[in-house]
Amino acid sequence: MNNAILQINELKTYFFTRLGVVKAVDGVSFDLRKGECLCLVGESGCGKTATALSILRLVDSPPGRIMGGAVMYHGEDLLQSTGARLRQIRGNRIAMIFQDPQSSLNPVFTVGDQIMEPIRLHLKLGQRPARERALSLMAQVGIPQAKERMKYYPHQFSGGMKQRAMIAAALSCDPEILIADEPTTALDTTIKAQILDIFRDLKQQKDMSILFITHDLGTVAGIADRIIVMYGGRIAEAGSVLDIFDRPKHPYTWGLLNCLPTISERREKMTPIPGVIPSLIDPPQGCIFYPRCQWHMPVCQEKRPEEFVISGEHIVACYLHK
Amino acid sequence: MVSKLLEVENLRKYYPVTAGLLARHVADVKAVDGVSFFIAEGETLGLVGESGCGKSSLGRALLRLEEPTSGQIIYRENDITSWSKQQLKELRREAQMIFQDPQSSLDPRMTIGDSIGEALLIHGVGTEKERLERVAELLQRVGLEQGHATRYPHELSGGQKQRTGIARALAVNPKLIVADEPVSALDVSVQAQILNLITDLQRELSLAYLFIAHDLAVIGQVSNRIAVMYLGQIVELAGRDDLFHQPLHPYTQALLSAVLLPDPHQPWKRTPLPGEVPSPIDPPTGCRFHTRCPRVMPVCRQEMPELRQLDGNHLVACHLYD
Amino acid sequence: MAIRRISDIFGGRRHLLFSGLLLVLLFVFLLDLLVIDHIFGPFVYFYLFFTLLIIFYGIYPLYVNRRLTRYYWERTKRHRLAVIGLSFIIFLVAVAILGPFLTQDPTEVDFPNKNLPPVGFSAEQAIYDRNTGNFITTETPGTWHHPLGTDDKGRDMLAMLVSGTRISLQVGLMATLIAIFIGLIMGVVSAYLGGWADNALMRFTDIMMTFPFFLLLVFIVFIFGPSLWFIILAIGLTGWTGTARLVRSEALSLRTRDFIMASKSLGASDRRIVFRHLIPNVLSSVIVIATLSIPGVILAEAALSFIGLGDPTVTSWGLVLHAGQRSLDTAWWIAVEPGIMLFLTVLAFNFLGDGIRDAFDPRSQV
Repeated sequence: MNNAILQINELKTYFFTRLGVVKAVDGVSFDLRKGECLCLVGESGCGKTATALSILRLVDSPPGRIMGGAVMYHGEDLLQSTGARLRQIRGNRIAMIFQDPQSSLNPVFTVGDQIMEPIRLHLKLGQRPARERALSLMAQVGIPQAKERMKYYPHQFSGGMKQRAMIAAALSCDPEILIADEPTTALDTTIKAQILDIFRDLKQQKDMSILFITHDLGTVAGIADRIIVMYGGRIAEAGSVLDIFDRPKHPYTWGLLNCLPTISERREKMTPIPGVIPSLIDPPQGCIFYPRCQWHMPVCQEKRPEEFVISGEHIVACYLHK
Repeated sequence: MVSKLLEVENLRKYYPVTAGLLARHVADVKAVDGVSFFIAEGETLGLVGESGCGKSSLGRALLRLEEPTSGQIIYRENDITSWSKQQLKELRREAQMIFQDPQSSLDPRMTIGDSIGEALLIHGVGTEKERLERVAELLQRVGLEQGHATRYPHELSGGQKQRTGIARALAVNPKLIVADEPVSALDVSVQAQILNLITDLQRELSLAYLFIAHDLAVIGQVSNRIAVMYLGQIVELAGRDDLFHQPLHPYTQALLSAVLLPDPHQPWKRTPLPGEVPSPIDPPTGCRFHTRCPRVMPVCRQEMPELRQLDGNHLVACHLYD
Repeated sequence: MAIRRISDIFGGRRHLLFSGLLLVLLFVFLLDLLVIDHIFGPFVYFYLFFTLLIIFYGIYPLYVNRRLTRYYWERTKRHRLAVIGLSFIIFLVAVAILGPFLTQDPTEVDFPNKNLPPVGFSAEQAIYDRNTGNFITTETPGTWHHPLGTDDKGRDMLAMLVSGTRISLQVGLMATLIAIFIGLIMGVVSAYLGGWADNALMRFTDIMMTFPFFLLLVFIVFIFGPSLWFIILAIGLTGWTGTARLVRSEALSLRTRDFIMASKSLGASDRRIVFRHLIPNVLSSVIVIATLSIPGVILAEAALSFIGLGDPTVTSWGLVLHAGQRSLDTAWWIAVEPGIMLFLTVLAFNFLGDGIRDAFDPRSQV
C-alpha cells in the first residue's frame, strides 16, 4: 500500500496579485505511487496546474509563492532543497510536459538538439551516444523517419509531432515521475488518442509514475488509476477511477459527470452546473462550492468541510457524507 | 420535402501561397475543395472535422465573409455568390455568426451593450430608445443581467462573453447562424450552459444552425444531421443517429472510435488511424484519406470518390460503397 | 442613464461639430493672417485647435466611457512613478499657460543685477566700483526678486525657465502630434489596403527611416533660417516612421481578431470597421508611443538650440543652457537650472509613458 514515491502534504501556493491574494492551491495533500497514473481533474482556475508547478518549484515568482506544505521525494522535501539539487531532479528524475507543444519547444534549435539536451546535461553522454539515445526515444514515441526528423526545426513539425517530441525529451533520462499538464488538450481527436496510447504504454512497460493533469473526464477514464477532483484550490474528492465514475460522492463530481454530452444519445437538455467558477480572491468562508450546490446545508456556509473517508482511499470533502 | 434555407454547390475556397518580393503566386491552400450540402429551415447541421480540415473557412465563405474561390451559395432561392456589398448587407440581417474565442470576438473598447446593439446601429433599426430596449431584451434572453450592458468585456467571465456573442448575433433576428466552435474555449460546466442556450434559442426562434466543432460529443448534442469533413471535403453526411450508430466512411469510424468516453468500463481501443493529416497545399490524389485509411484499395489512390446517397439520407464519399 | 443622454445630444454629431468649429477656426486664422494682420501669433490658433482636439477626442470619450477611464486610471495609478510623472507634467502645463503672466519679461536685460545666484546661495563676483575705478570682489547673495538668480545679462532665470517650459512643450506636443497623425494614417491605410499599396508605403517608410534626421534639421535651419516653426515641422515630418510601423503591425494583427470579423458579419462597412474598431484599438499604443516620443523631441530642440541652430528669438531651455555653459565656473546655475528642468521633464514623460503602456497592456492583467 505505502509505495508512495512522491508525497504532497498541505501544499499551499498563493498568487499575490494587485487585486488581492489568489489562493490557487490551498492545502492540498496526496501521494503518487510507483507505477500508477494519478489524474488531477478540474476546471480552469481550480489549482491543478499550480499544484503541478509547485512540485518542482516552477511557479512564477512573483506573483506566485509557495506558502507552506511539503513535497517529499525519497525522504527529501523538494520545497526545502537547494536550487542546484532541484536542477538535478528536474528533467532527470521528475520530468514535465506542458500543454502547448508550440511554445514549449525553442524555435531556433532543431528538435533533435532539444531532445538531446537533457541527455547530455543529466546523463553526461557524448554527442554520439546521446544521438543514439535520442533516436531510440523518438522511435519509441512514434516519430517516423527519426533520423531525418532530428534535423527539423519545430515549425516543420505538426502539433502532434511536437507533442511526441516533447514526450521524447521528457523521457530522455528515464525519469521516475512524469508530470503531464494537459498534454492532449491542444490536439485533435485522432492525434489525442495516439498520444494517450503512448502514456498507457509508458505506465505499463516502464512502470513509470504519471501525474496527469486534465480537465477532460473522457481522457481521465481511459488512463487513470486514481483520480483527484479539484475545485477552488482544494481537493473535492479523491479515489480510484471506479470510485469517481461509479460511486461519485461530491456534488461537484456529480455535476461534472452530468454535464458532459455523450455520443450514444442526444439528451433533451443538458444539466449544467449553475453559476460561475468562483474567484479565489477572498473565497467564501465555508465550502467553496456552496453557491453552486443544490444540496447545500446551513453548515456548508459556515465551515469548510474536511476530508471524510468513504472507504479505503475514497475521500470526499463534503458534509453530505459526514 | 424540407424547405432548404441555404444550399451550397461545389464550393471552393483557396488561399493563395505567395513567395518572394513580388508576391509570386506559387500554390494554393485548398481549404475548401468542392463542397455541396444544404441546411433546412430550423435545423442544425453539425460540421465536424479536425483542425485544418477547412471547416472554419467553409463557415466564413458560406456567409461571404471571405470570398469563395468558386461554387454557388443559394440562400432562399437567391444566388448570393455574386451579390454586391449592398445586397450582402441585407444577407447580414438574415445570417449571423458566433465565434470560438469569446475573448477576441468582442471589441475590448466597447461596452457589452454597444457590442450587442452594433448591428441595430449598422442597419439603422429603430430609434435610440427602441434599440436600447432591444438590447435589454436580448440581454435577458441570453441570460445576462441588465447591469452587464455598461460593462466591458474584461469584466465578464468566458461564459458571459460567449452569451454576449450570441446576443449580438441574435440582434437582427437572423434565420441562420453559423456557430464556429462556440463552446470549445469554455469549461465543461459552462459549456453545458451555453449548449442549452443554443438549443433553447433554436426552439423559440426557429433558427437554423451550421454548428462547427471538433468535438463529436458536442456536435451530437445539438445536431439533427452531421457532416464530416476531411481535408477540404465532406466525406460523410447523415442524420445524427445514423452517423453515430452506423458510420460508413473509415474516417468517421476512426473519429468515433477515438472519442474518449467518460466511462472507465469502456475497453481501451487503440486508434486504427495512423499518421497525420496531409498538407492541404498538395493533397493526395484520388481519395484524400487513402494515405491513412485502414481499408485502402488500389482504386482509392487514383479516383476521387464522389459524395453519393446510399440509403435514406445517408451520404458517403468512399469507394467501399461503389 | 445620464451617460446615454449626453452622448445622445452630442454623440452622433461629434465629428460634424468638430469639423465645423475647425473650419471657423481656420477661417479666422486666415482672416487674421491675410486681412487683419497678425493680431494673434499662429501659436494661439494652434492652441485653440489643440484644445478642441483634446475636448472632442480626449475628454469627451473619457467622460462618456467613465468606467473604462476609471479602469485604466486605476491601472496607471499602480505605477507611483507614472503618477508622479503625470503630476509633474500637469505642473509644467500650468506653468506654461499661467507662468508668463506672473513672471518678469524673460528678455529684459538688467546689467547691474547680472549673475545673481538663486535664493539661498551666494556667489563671489567681481564688481566694478565706479568710485575707485577698481574691481572689487564681493559676496553676492541671492535675492527674492530673482528667486532662481539671473544670467550674465541680468535676465531673470525664473522667467527664462518658464518661457522655456512653454517652448519645450510647444515643440514636444506639436511635433509629436504631426508625427503621430502622419504615422497613424500611414499605418492604418497601409494595413487596411494591403497588397502593393502596403508595400509601397512601407518601403517609403523605410527610406524615411534611413534618413539622418539631425542632418536634415541642420540643413533646414541652414536653408530657411532658425525658426521654431521649421524645427517643429522638420521633427514632425521625419518622426512618424516608428509610429507608422507600429500602427501597421497592430492593425494587421487586429484585422485577424474575431471582433473585426464579427463586425463584418453584422454588415459593418469598411469605414465603420476602420474608425470604430481599428483606430480606437490602435490608439492606446499610439498614445504610449506619443508620450514616449515627446521627450525625444524636446531633447532634439534643446540640442539644436544648444549647438546654436535654435530659434534665437525665443528663450528655450537649450538656448539658456548654451549661454550658461560659458560661465559654468562663475555662475553654475545658468546652465544647471535648465538642465534640471530638461532632465525632470524627459523623465516625467518617460515614467508616464511606461505607466500608460502597462495599463493598456492586457498581458499585465493580473
